[in-house]
Amino acid sequence: MIITSGAILGAVVGTIGLSFFGIFCGLLYKGFDRKIAAHMQSRTGPPVIQPFLDVSKFMIKDTVQPERALTWLYNAAPIICLASMITVLLYLPFGGLPFTPILSGYGDLILLVYLLIIPALVMIVGGFASSSPFATVGGQRKMITMMSYEFPLAVVAIAIAWKLNALYPGESVFGLAFIYSHPLWGSVGPLGIIGLLLLLFSLVIVTPGQLATVPFDVCEAGPEIAEGVATEYSGRNFGLFYLADAVKTIAVGTLMIALFFPYDLSPLIGISGPAGHIVNFLFFLLKLFLVVILTVTLPRVAVARLKISQVTTTYWGIVTGIAVLGLIFIVIG
Amino acid sequence: MLGLPYWNPLIWIFVFIIALALAYYFRSRGQKKYKKGTAQTEIFLSGEAPPEAEERHVKAHNIYWGFFETLKGYYKENMRAHTGIVNDYVIWFVALIALTAVILFVVGLL
Repeated sequence: MIITSGAILGAVVGTIGLSFFGIFCGLLYKGFDRKIAAHMQSRTGPPVIQPFLDVSKFMIKDTVQPERALTWLYNAAPIICLASMITVLLYLPFGGLPFTPILSGYGDLILLVYLLIIPALVMIVGGFASSSPFATVGGQRKMITMMSYEFPLAVVAIAIAWKLNALYPGESVFGLAFIYSHPLWGSVGPLGIIGLLLLLFSLVIVTPGQLATVPFDVCEAGPEIAEGVATEYSGRNFGLFYLADAVKTIAVGTLMIALFFPYDLSPLIGISGPAGHIVNFLFFLLKLFLVVILTVTLPRVAVARLKISQVTTTYWGIVTGIAVLGLIFIVIG
Repeated sequence: MLGLPYWNPLIWIFVFIIALALAYYFRSRGQKKYKKGTAQTEIFLSGEAPPEAEERHVKAHNIYWGFFETLKGYYKENMRAHTGIVNDYVIWFVALIALTAVILFVVGLL
């Protein structure tokens, strides 16, 4: 595939623009998450801007290099983690931003699933490089969690691409732009709807695993292994991991919206042009907010942490089973 | 046939380098100093003395513990079949070829 000069310019501007967008929105949504979780527990909670204050505090704290750490790898891990997370944003469609996905045509859903692995892998490597026993246990658990949720995630991706291919043969059905512009809910029968609901449910369960939040945060498990891979990270290094986590929240939420809720508001209320894009973008931000509340905040408040063996049982046994059932329903429906 | 997946590694490397530069810039804005050689740099292990560096890591056979624990029924059966005796492996090999031949024969008849 030929890389055009327009694509290169778009990539430069897009990387810078989307990195700021991803970081800002990610931190803001983290603030909402903390505030709403606090209210659910009858607490006042921190202000919504607390994650911004946290990051500015991390940046002025000492960046300690633990003794016996593999320094270059220990320091490189947070940089690579944030950078790889930013690249994911360039393959995602953001509602109301018509120039997204910026790298549409240069990567698809399968690539995205693989790219989402890189930040987690880099965190594991950084944890191992820190020479902390807690970090090595956390890294091991993170790896198992990742291997566990990849299976149902792959089933969800394949099921949607398969159905799109059946409906639109010959099209690039793995492309995120194509998936976003061809919602499946109105194109399938009753069994297909059940299938889509099962696939959506699977992705809702996979999302906390991807974001290492409750109940699938055994790799961090603060009271037990003191944040796992991040135990020995501090100051600006920890700040970069924090930013990468914020960007990942946006990326994973946007992926769910692209697969299951790719609807714009402007056609419904009859607005077009720039005003329509603004309305769609605001609608997208609302959808993202609801997805974050549903997949991160609610489980975090409502349920307890699973053990590592239970994480694997849940993902490989229950969630994959539900996803495969959804695949079967969507094939016949 | 399913529409083929696609990606361009060159443009990913290009944007990755830009993102690396951005991340490096963010990091460069932070505090660089720390108190080298003090208690600050000691490994945290809830107040316990950390073991020697060589003993801090999860051993290779424990890396996939969560998997082994969850799928122990499956692994137990597999390990039982792996006796380490070459005769047993040859029996498995011959038996599977025979089974494959029977299946192909039956499918051919249909």
